[in-house]
Amino acid sequence: MGLIRAVFDASFRQSTARRKPAGPRWPLMLFHVDTGGCGGCGMELEALATGPYDMQGAGFSFVSAPQGADVLLITGALTYTMAPVLEAAWKAMPTPKGLICVGNCAIDGGIFSENYSLMGGVSRKVHINLRIAGCPPTPKDILDGLCSLFAQHSKATGAAQAEAGVSSSSTTSS
Amino acid sequence: MDAVAHIQAGQPTSTPWRYRLDEMAWRDLVEGLKHDSLPFVGLWCDGTDIHALFMPHDMQPLAATLALESGRYPALSPARPVSSFYERMIFDLYGAEAMWGTDVRPLVDHDVWQNSMPLAPVPGAAGDNKGMVAVQPSDAMQAASGTAMGSGPATGGYETPLHVAMVCEGETIRHAETVSGYAHRGMAQRWHKCRVDEANRLSGRYDAGCSAAHQAAFCQAVEHACGQQVGHEVSQLRLVVLELERVTQHLFTLATLARQAGARLVASRCMWLRESLLAKAAPVIGSRLMMDHSVPGGVNLRDTASMGTLCEQIADLAEEVYPPLVTLWQSYPGLSARLAGLAVVESTLLERVGLDGPVARAGGGECDYRRAMRAYEGLWHFNGGRHNGTLEDRAAILLDEVGESLRIIKALGPRLGLSAGGRIELTYEDGEGTGLAEGPWGAVLYWVRLKNGRVDQVFMRNPAYSALMAFEAVLPGQNVADIGLIRTSLGVSAAALDG
Ligand code: SF4
Repeated sequence: MGLIRAVFDASFRQSTARRKPAGPRWPLMLFHVDTGGCGGCGMELEALATGPYDMQGAGFSFVSAPQGADVLLITGALTYTMAPVLEAAWKAMPTPKGLICVGNCAIDGGIFSENYSLMGGVSRKVHINLRIAGCPPTPKDILDGLCSLFAQHSKATGAAQAEAGVSSSSTTSS
Repeated sequence: MDAVAHIQAGQPTSTPWRYRLDEMAWRDLVEGLKHDSLPFVGLWCDGTDIHALFMPHDMQPLAATLALESGRYPALSPARPVSSFYERMIFDLYGAEAMWGTDVRPLVDHDVWQNSMPLAPVPGAAGDNKGMVAVQPSDAMQAASGTAMGSGPATGGYETPLHVAMVCEGETIRHAETVSGYAHRGMAQRWHKCRVDEANRLSGRYDAGCSAAHQAAFCQAVEHACGQQVGHEVSQLRLVVLELERVTQHLFTLATLARQAGARLVASRCMWLRESLLAKAAPVIGSRLMMDHSVPGGVNLRDTASMGTLCEQIADLAEEVYPPLVTLWQSYPGLSARLAGLAVVESTLLERVGLDGPVARAGGGECDYRRAMRAYEGLWHFNGGRHNGTLEDRAAILLDEVGESLRIIKALGPRLGLSAGGRIELTYEDGEGTGLAEGPWGAVLYWVRLKNGRVDQVFMRNPAYSALMAFEAVLPGQNVADIGLIRTSLGVSAAALDG
């Protein structure tokens, strides 16, 4: 589809010694686009951002416009209707920029395989910098995945810790 | 003859509650419905027939079927306005035209799909549009004067994708219409000829936050089609999951509302209680969003024997944390004033759009299907509460219902004991059945047709279309900055709408 070619700035994850890149690009700003799923991954993102997970303390924040984002964070299985919206968001982001898929849907469609209305995720179409699998991944899975960009471990507390291992998911970066 | 008698005068089918009408009888039915209050559930197509489902009495389905000849059928929307959404969906998927329909704009097909009319016997060609979806304004929108504005489908927020097109005067919305379809995944096609367990998994991913309600209703429908009923233990275990879903979803909504209203402390307390409950529940139940725990014939819980203990733990936590949360919500400076009087959903609007659930209860409606469910006997009580239909009332009802559901969970604990629930083996004979659950936003109903040991068709009703109609109706006169707050308070979900 010629939609996106994500080129993630290697400086974000080259050196594990330099965990917090200096300069104006910290914290890492995420712009979320739900491209058509059940909404579960979006709910877990909201729980992560507003619940007791200290996402900001770990160095991540959501922004409301792509122009201020470092990373495009996709949930949902990518409908044909959302594809131009996603492309516009990507184009509006400044470089360097990266692409993160949260949830099985966003990666390869998950339970929603390709059909007349839906592309079935982005993995066969674009380069993904980080995949956080699960249906949905828990907030802690998502935070661990994000922290893996900098080889950190999340320090989620209390209730957040107790949910670890509740939902099967895996995290891979490429 | 009233509408019920009119349908029952049709030709009986192999399903005892479904009758076949000819086109003249269907037209008479539409006329009759204009003067009859028979509760309408939904309208669906299976490629050969059109089916309209009604609920004359709580939990008692009644369906009318019309053969789809020449690709057209008389619309129900002149008598039941919400039917226009079903009619638009049927046209987009099957190309079947609703004659005299009140709204004929596309609902989910915006000329970008790989096929138009994808479920028709001969699907159409691929859409021509390679760009963003263009708004097709109604005549009323075109006539409205002011500045055109829009919101969504990508706001950077966490909500499901929906576009709201508006005409505003200054900051005040004068007219608003929505564009949906961004989250259309083709559920009707996916369910068709699907394995029963796989279809159940799909139901659980129709609309997150209401997964337990969807799967409980789906499973009941399958069991009904098989002429079976699960035992008391299983239905009580399902209730725990359903009520826990209501508690956690309402807390989630309340947290979002509080945050959107600027009350961040209240939001974080709501979210903290939700996370604390989930920290106890998820290891026992097996997931945080209550997905995949009802299965046809039984339940699938990680540690069923601990469900009774879980109920006690939840009750203990609730006793400690819930009353202070209510006090905080009611006394937090400025919160009540911020929500008071916003986006009033009056009883006339509720009636017109056929909305149920907590939004309707906050507007004076007494609709709650739990009242009629045998599994809730001795558990559910009528919850009075505020009912002027304002956004503040809706929040108050959600908060009340959190307390009520926590009370139900506490009462369920001692009934569960250490039972593993038991499971009935189902033989999937050809047949049709319905199932109903009172979800966090209202009734979720499934009508499932089984054939050759698989699911043949699934028709699903949730409050999404009615909620969207209410959303569009209340926006005029509101401040454009309150769109998110109003949407959250009405439970408008694109995933639930688009299917
Ligand atoms: S991955 Fe699962 S939970 Fe997430 S949007 Fe897709 S279906 Fe929903």
